[in-house]
Amino acid sequence: MTVAARFEIPYSQFLDPHGKAVAPLPAFAQDPAALILLYRAMVLMRTYDAKAIALQRTGQIGTYASILGKEAVEAGVGAAMQKDDVLLCTYRENGVQIMRGVTMRELLVYWGGDERGSDYSGPRRDFPVCITIASQCLHAVGVAYAIKLHQEPRAAVCMLGDGATSKGDFYESINAAGTWQLPVVFVVTNNQWAISVPRKTQSAAQTLAQKAIAAGFEGVQADGNDVVAVHHAMREALAKARSGGGPTLIEAVTYRLADHTTADDASRYRPPEELAEAWKREPVLRLRNYLSDAGAWNRALEEELLRQSDEQVQAAAQAYLDTPPPPVAQMFDHLYATLPAAYAAQRAALTSAAGKSA
Amino acid sequence: MKIFKLPDLGEGLQEAEIVKWHVKAGDDVAVDQPLVSVETAKAIVDIPAPYAGRIVKLYGTERDVAHVGAPLIAFEGGDDTDTGTVVGKVEVGQNVIADAPAGATPLAHGIKAMPAVRALARKLNIDLTMVTPTGADGLITANDVQRAARILAELGPQELLRGVRKVMAQSMTLAHAEVACATIMDDADIDAWPEGASVMLRLIRALVAACRAEPSLNAWYDSQAVGRRLLKNVDLGIAVDTPDGLLVPVLRNVERRAPEELKASLAKLIQDTRNRKVPSEDLRANTITLSNYGSIAGRYASPIVLPPTVAIVGAGRIGKEVVVVDDKPAVHRILPLSLTFDHRAVTGGEAGRFLAAMMTDLQRPD
Amino acid sequence: MAQITLVEAVNLALARAMADDPDVVVLGEDVGKDGGVFRATLGLLDKFGSGRVIDTPLAENLIAGMAIGMAAEGLRPVCEIQFSGFAYTTLDQMLNHAGRMRHRTQGRLSCPMVLRTPCGAGIHPPEHHSESPDAMFAHIPGIRVVYPSSPKRAYGLLLAAIRDPDPVVFLEPTRLYRLFKEDVIDNGEALALDACFTLREGTDVTLVTWGAMIHETLQVADELREQGIAAEVIDIATLKPLDFDTILASVARTGRCVVVTEAPRHCSIASEIAATLAEQGLLTLLAPVQRVTAPDVVVPLARLEQHYLPGKQQIIAAVKKTLEFA
Repeated sequence: MTVAARFEIPYSQFLDPHGKAVAPLPAFAQDPAALILLYRAMVLMRTYDAKAIALQRTGQIGTYASILGKEAVEAGVGAAMQKDDVLLCTYRENGVQIMRGVTMRELLVYWGGDERGSDYSGPRRDFPVCITIASQCLHAVGVAYAIKLHQEPRAAVCMLGDGATSKGDFYESINAAGTWQLPVVFVVTNNQWAISVPRKTQSAAQTLAQKAIAAGFEGVQADGNDVVAVHHAMREALAKARSGGGPTLIEAVTYRLADHTTADDASRYRPPEELAEAWKREPVLRLRNYLSDAGAWNRALEEELLRQSDEQVQAAAQAYLDTPPPPVAQMFDHLYATLPAAYAAQRAALTSAAGKSA
Repeated sequence: MKIFKLPDLGEGLQEAEIVKWHVKAGDDVAVDQPLVSVETAKAIVDIPAPYAGRIVKLYGTERDVAHVGAPLIAFEGGDDTDTGTVVGKVEVGQNVIADAPAGATPLAHGIKAMPAVRALARKLNIDLTMVTPTGADGLITANDVQRAARILAELGPQELLRGVRKVMAQSMTLAHAEVACATIMDDADIDAWPEGASVMLRLIRALVAACRAEPSLNAWYDSQAVGRRLLKNVDLGIAVDTPDGLLVPVLRNVERRAPEELKASLAKLIQDTRNRKVPSEDLRANTITLSNYGSIAGRYASPIVLPPTVAIVGAGRIGKEVVVVDDKPAVHRILPLSLTFDHRAVTGGEAGRFLAAMMTDLQRPD
Repeated sequence: MAQITLVEAVNLALARAMADDPDVVVLGEDVGKDGGVFRATLGLLDKFGSGRVIDTPLAENLIAGMAIGMAAEGLRPVCEIQFSGFAYTTLDQMLNHAGRMRHRTQGRLSCPMVLRTPCGAGIHPPEHHSESPDAMFAHIPGIRVVYPSSPKRAYGLLLAAIRDPDPVVFLEPTRLYRLFKEDVIDNGEALALDACFTLREGTDVTLVTWGAMIHETLQVADELREQGIAAEVIDIATLKPLDFDTILASVARTGRCVVVTEAPRHCSIASEIAATLAEQGLLTLLAPVQRVTAPDVVVPLARLEQHYLPGKQQIIAAVKKTLEFA
């Protein structure tokens, strides 16, 4: 008997949970200034996240999906992307979106139930939040195909969760990406939970990264709580994609420290001990410890950063609260390039009825 | 178990170091009792108990970093309220519903015609009740409507009734719908009357006598309440034929008025009626009616009882007829009488006795 | 000018669109080397290359989903779903994303894609190849659904669909693919979307239909004319948005309407037309609107197909029924 195929899935970690370097840092991480930029981004997005939850609890926005615990994945991915790359993500990537130039006010407008929140002023080509699981993978294949056809040095970055890797749409996407060697990076945030279904029930595969092997391309695992590991893996994958080397799947292993959404109560299905343990591995503290130990961070800087982040978030929240509700006509406007005559009467009836009840 | 998480410390602070626990597993704590002191970037803060309860477990030891939103203490007790969803908010109501039977609506039997045919009828001003349907199952077709329109066009334009004629049409429709008419007829032999006797005065006197004999014909009937009022006064409605149509002016209290005065009043009333000078209050509220159609033509009739009255007397054309007197034929003057009554309020026996009383009085010489 | 079949007209329109606009790409299973299982994409690979004529892996969600990604990046993808029975899975992408992308982003992104699929019964194939997904697609907000019935209209409407800035589901009547030919000029001229085509004028009854049933309906109109009944025949062509004005104006003149579809009765587009006539044209109706449809059953296999599909006799019977009223 001979072996028809073998594979290996590398796992990368540079900073351990205490923030100690356990491997030689990649070049970009040697200068603390670069890491401080990542740290600032992580703190800002965590501040935003807490505010969003508070707004939901006080009825100012609808159901919200927290990013608590995955700040290193967000920052690592967001910092690696170029302006003209295209992000296709889920509802749990607000941190990356903020780094891409989506304003916090726009995000809150979206969570507040107004489509104008997806008319991003910054990254005009990024896809809007995708609620249906793994559909964005198919769209990413189309985007990457167009990029390749036009021979542009751009890439599509598709972000999805561990649950999404069970979907047909995901398998169809990676299969196509592999067969056509498309410039796309699939970032699987494995936060161990798909609502209440734990990772071990989601798939028998030893790693999620190895699903890429079945599609004919490279899959790697990174410690998702180590921003250096995530960022490094992203830089390599994007460089490969841009140079015609085809797709990569990065499985960032982390933990969902919050509930699935603000309407969920995770204590129904997961033990608090596990959650408490996961907190010990969290990404923000880890990086702060490293920077502090390296003499590049201190209490004064921390206070100042917290104050600045808080100020920015409060301003964004106020800007959201000051945003008037959308006009009723929004339901019809932008439904088609030009609203067909057949629907003009419906639009007129609803807008006039809304005017009367205003 | 209830998990108490480290609450928001304010000012954007995300963590705090545990300085000292004030409680341990197994302790019972009261609301607001200090649980732990933590040190933030700014200060040392005491975290109070959010509710009373027994401590099951502490998460973290002194010098550990606690995070906002992370488990801090486990309390004994019930689960938090389950939202029952992971998105949005599913409203919870307390009402208990029960199936109620849907009310049965009666089937409407109406005219069957397609909407376009109805629109056509409206346009041509055709009343669909006048159209004979020729379609299947009684359906009025467009042709049927066209046919009706042609016929009516040949007949010329319709005259819309106004004034007195319109009132007659409406009140007769009402009377016809409501009253249960019955009629009895007989003849009064008036051969013994003196020369020049006033037919109207004799009729009025006979009617009054009959009202005394059978008061139930001088009454008002209320069909809603199913009740009647027997009336003491006889306010007699006189049917008067005028160029404008039928009018029924009223002579009040004929039962106590002297014949001469009554004769003069009657003449004046009839004249005023023909000249349309009778005030409206004298055209209403009669208790019984007299129609002397015989002055024109007709022997017997079944005139219409107008609610709320219950009787109308009809006097036919007086003429000479062969009658039997002492078993031998004789030629006498005869006055045909008809009495129509509302059988809802008056029995046949009552009507008969009323008529008999009229005849008795009319057949007296004076 | 050439006398060509409906599927050849589709091929001609695709070639024309791809020649005129380098952003137009074609993708689907077997569309490249094989020219499509019905030869709708014959010759395109040779003319335009494998970058623009893409043989995809066997995955319908992928075909529809990547078209959405391509369209967002400025391409104009025309994807082919090999058979109507396989098109149902694309409802997810069309309904959840294609029809929503413009509205979701308030116009920032849009989705100018076309999804083509052969539909309808009558070629005696195995199961799932005879479907009529008309109403299911027509129920989706934000898209158009177009269903040609002749080579000329297939050519002109497909060009219009490809040039339209919004998603179009283009349903092709398999039974008519090669049933007859027509003169089609390859002049690149599109026909109007959102508009009915009146194929016969008449004063006694309005026959409304689309797709393959046009074929039988026109024959019925000709037969009725010999019996002194002048039937107007309307091909609605765009199922969504539907040009109700033309239908209402016609029924205002004739007073009678028969809607013919090979789709199952319940919630068919015939129902939508009947409802709209009742709502907006009631006073013009001399008889109830008749729907001639397939029954509400699974499309049978070949042996029973002729009993399932509505035929000329049923259409004639429906017309006679309307004439029995006023």
